[in-house]
Order: sequence, then C-alpha cells, then structure tokens
Amino acid sequence: MSKRITIPIGPQHPSLKEPGCFTITLEGEKVVNAVVGVGYNHRGLEKACESRTYIQDLYIIERVCGICSHTHSTAFCQAVEELAGVAIPRRAAYIRVIMAELERLHSHLLWLGIAGHEIGFDTLLMYSWRDRERVLDILAMLGGNRVNYGINTLGGVRRDLTPEMMAEIRKVLDFIEEENKYYIELALSETTLAARLAGVGRLSHDDALKYGAVGPVARASNVPDDIRAIDPYIAYDEILVHPVTDDHCDVFGRAVVRVLEIMDSIRMIREALDNLPDGELTAKMPRKIPEGEVFSRTEAPRGEDTHYIRSNGTEKPDRVRVRAASEANWHGMAHMLEGDYLADVPIIIAAIDPCYSCTDRAIRLVNPEGGEEQLLDWNQLRRYSIDFYKKQGFDATKIKIAERKIML
Amino acid sequence: MAAEERVLNGIIERFPVLEGRVRIQRRQRMTMEPLPRRDFEKVFAYLTEEGGFHTFHLVIGVDDGDDLGFVYVISNDDKIALLVKQKAPKADPRIKSVCSIFPNALWHERELVDLFGAIVEELPPGPSYPLPDGWPEGNYPLRKEWKVEYFDKETMTYNPPPAPEPAASEQPVAE
Repeated sequence: MSKRITIPIGPQHPSLKEPGCFTITLEGEKVVNAVVGVGYNHRGLEKACESRTYIQDLYIIERVCGICSHTHSTAFCQAVEELAGVAIPRRAAYIRVIMAELERLHSHLLWLGIAGHEIGFDTLLMYSWRDRERVLDILAMLGGNRVNYGINTLGGVRRDLTPEMMAEIRKVLDFIEEENKYYIELALSETTLAARLAGVGRLSHDDALKYGAVGPVARASNVPDDIRAIDPYIAYDEILVHPVTDDHCDVFGRAVVRVLEIMDSIRMIREALDNLPDGELTAKMPRKIPEGEVFSRTEAPRGEDTHYIRSNGTEKPDRVRVRAASEANWHGMAHMLEGDYLADVPIIIAAIDPCYSCTDRAIRLVNPEGGEEQLLDWNQLRRYSIDFYKKQGFDATKIKIAERKIML
Repeated sequence: MAAEERVLNGIIERFPVLEGRVRIQRRQRMTMEPLPRRDFEKVFAYLTEEGGFHTFHLVIGVDDGDDLGFVYVISNDDKIALLVKQKAPKADPRIKSVCSIFPNALWHERELVDLFGAIVEELPPGPSYPLPDGWPEGNYPLRKEWKVEYFDKETMTYNPPPAPEPAASEQPVAE
C-alpha cells in the first residue's frame, strides 16, 4: 500500500469566489478521503435582515451571490409577496423570467470558460467569456448593472422593456445560439474532452438523491428535478421549461447538461418576448407584512435556491434563512472526489460550479508520517493536473477551435 | 390539491392528535405546528419511512422566546414541501441529529449548534460551521437576545451593557 499523504487545499483561493478548504488524503495519485470545510465567508446577512425592513433586505439578498443575484431576489420577493397575499402583474412575472434566463446564460457561459481553463483548454475560456460579455451587456442595458441588476422590487419589477431593448436581446440570442451550437458539437464530439471528463467526479443517481444534489449536478445524474418545472413560479407556468437530463453521472454529463440548458434558456427568453403581456410593472405592497411563514424556492443556474421567511406583522422579518444551490451541492463533493486522481480535483470542484469569493489560493502538502510539507498554489495544482493528463496523451491545450464568423 | 389532501389524511390517520395542527398552505406547501421532541421524532420517522418524504432540503433554526424552534423542510415524490417542526427549551435545547437518515443535514445541523446553541445529539464529528475559530463560547448570534452592536470583532468579545439597577421601589426592604 502506498504511503498516505493529506493535502489541505484552501481555504483561500484567489480564482474561486468563496473560500473553502478541502482536506484531501492521497494514496499514491488517488484520492482516498476528502473533507470539505466551508464557512470562511459567512457574512451574517440573515441577522442583518432581521433588523431591516423588507425593502432594505432586498438589497442585501440581491448580494447573496454575484452570479445568481436575480434568482435570490426573486425567491425573496415572491416569499414576501405570498405573505402579503399580493399577486404581481403578469408583465412583471415575464420580465422576471427573461432576467432569470439571461442570468442562466451568463452563468453557464462563465462556467464553460472556467471548466475549459481548469483542464488547459483556454481557447474555450476566451470564446465563452467573450460570448458572455454580450449577455452581460444586455443585463446592463436592462438593469443598469452587469451584476446585481436591481430589476426586482417587492410587488413586481422596477424597469420595463422597450421594443428597442427587445430587438437587442433577440440579436444577442441569435449570436449566443450559433456559438452554443458549436460548443454542443465540441462537447459531444471532441474526443480529448470526453477522455478528460468522462468517468471523472462520479455521482450515481442514487447518490445524487442521497446527498441532495440540485441543478445541473443532479440532472447530470439523471435526476430530472428543476424547480421551474416541479414547482412553477413567476411565469414558468406559461413559459414551460424542458428539463435537460443526462445519465453520464460525471463531469462530462454536467458539461453536456449546461450547454444544452443554454439552448432551452434561449428558447424560453424568445417565448417570453413573443408573449410579453401588456400592463403594470408593480402591484401595491403593504409596508407591514402580516404574520406568517413561507418557504420559497427558485431554480438558480446552479440549482435550487430556497428562502424561508417568517413574518411577525411588522415592517421587518422575524427570520430569513437562505440556502443557496452550492450549499446543497457541497454535500456530495467528498464522495465525488474519492477514488479519482489528484489531477482531477480542480475540474471536479469546478464542475459543481461552486460559488466562492476571491482572495487567495494555497495548497499545503503534508506527509503526516514523515512530517514533510510542501506548499503549492491553485495554479500549480492546475498545472500539475494538465501535465498529468498530457503524459496520458490527453492534451486539451491542443484542441483546435474552428474559425467562426463573429456576429456583432 | 389531491396529493396534499392524501398526505394530510395519512398524517391524521396515523396521529389523530395532529388534527387541526397540520395545514395545507397552498399547492405543494404544507406546514405543521411545532411538536415536542418525542412527538416530533415519531412523526418524522413516519414521514420519512412510510410517508414517502425522501428528500431533505434544510433545517431552519428559529428563536421562539423561551424555546428554540427547528423547522425541517422535506419533500416527497409529488414535490410537496412539508415543514415539520420541533421545539426545545432554550435552557436545554437538545435535539437528535437526522444525519443518519439524511446525510445532507450535516452542515445545517452544525449551523444550529453554532448560531443557535442547539445541542444536536449523534451529530457526526467534524469541524464547526460556520463561525470562525476563536468565537467566544456561549455566543449564539441568531438568538434574538444576541445583539450585533455589543460584539467587538477585533477582540472577538461580547460586551453587553450592564443590566440597569433595579428601581428604588423594587429594592428589597432592609431588615
């Protein structure tokens, strides 16, 4: 039996967006045990919400996550609206859907680039992030910001769509659709990608259920749950999602699900634009929210977001509890890592699309028996990972991207 | 809402004492009044073993004055989210871990320990979550009596103002 070495990774990671610590025990090159540690970025926002009014809380909630800001504010708003017994105008519900799907587009394109980067396929990073910029431009046009768009308010939305904006959205959707067709072809036909991602970070259907996986991670293990379909909210009762599932149960499946979901989001945005109802943007909301409790959920790009709000009849909530999708997906992470190579660690972690905040990255290699210690940073681990697979004959840096016409 | 009615009837049939204490909020949402620990464990076992509630979403701590409340959100194959609750006195907030049934309850239960001061029996060992190392003992930030303005994050100490002197009329009469 090879000597076992324990490697703490993190908690500081400059390229990821939230600090987390992975203590990984190796036997040779294989991960035999993994412990995930989180909590380094707990901001106490739930306590902060209790001492502020509902409308003030909305600004805090929108900042739970920089990528999924709209889905969090939607979950919060619809919870408060349900407590108040207020139905928002249909036009507002459709605009919330359009923003939510645009958010999914930019999040999945972001992920695609990160996944490419982690395996050394930086050309894909450049292309997908270039495409993502077009989506961010649209989000900035609609909300005024690239992130934290501030579209949602209690009772509806703050900004309307003009015909010019809608035309611009359609133009960008055409562009993203063409680009994404190519990414799908690449994901499904490029043998280096398949060899690099297939069978890595396995999470069986039963384990996905056991560990409570959500979103693309669950759907790539053939769990068809998508909150937009199983518990329709805002306008998802009229704009129907076609949940994408895959039965690879690995990182490859998670990639396939996300690129196919991009196509479904494009379809849904077009459908919402085609059928955007006329009418008001907001319904009148009471300042004081009647006593009660609501469990609200939305389908973020990363999976199910849940918000629990307990009201006490005042202007301030008695309790706000937020559980983001990443929190649900961490539970199965140790299981996904165990049995794979150290070289697979970066892409397995990236494949759940974890939500982090950036500070630093450090890896400490410790041999508990010999007391030897080695310091690596995340880039060195990534480099190790790429070189490891080059030696096996899988070099993602050599993948050629076809020349494509750029639609401006 | 036939599916919700079926769940409701199943619970009442098994636990007649819960009649009127389980409620359908709307489609796919049901809630239950808080139960003492022993009753909760029986109801929770029924729901997860026989009632088809195989998905655990999270457990939420709440401060109910003299009690702590624990709201477990579970769902079944019909995607009905049911809020099952138990309560325990703040003086001895002892509950049993549900990690043996739902491994994904681990961090949520650790959070109850850190933020509410719950004593979760049979909680698997591991690092605390989410408060940092060196957090002062006995400080549970999500309890209502804990005020953020009295916490000094530089020294990691909690410094509430001294309790006011009792009014003269409340002073014990000298013998």
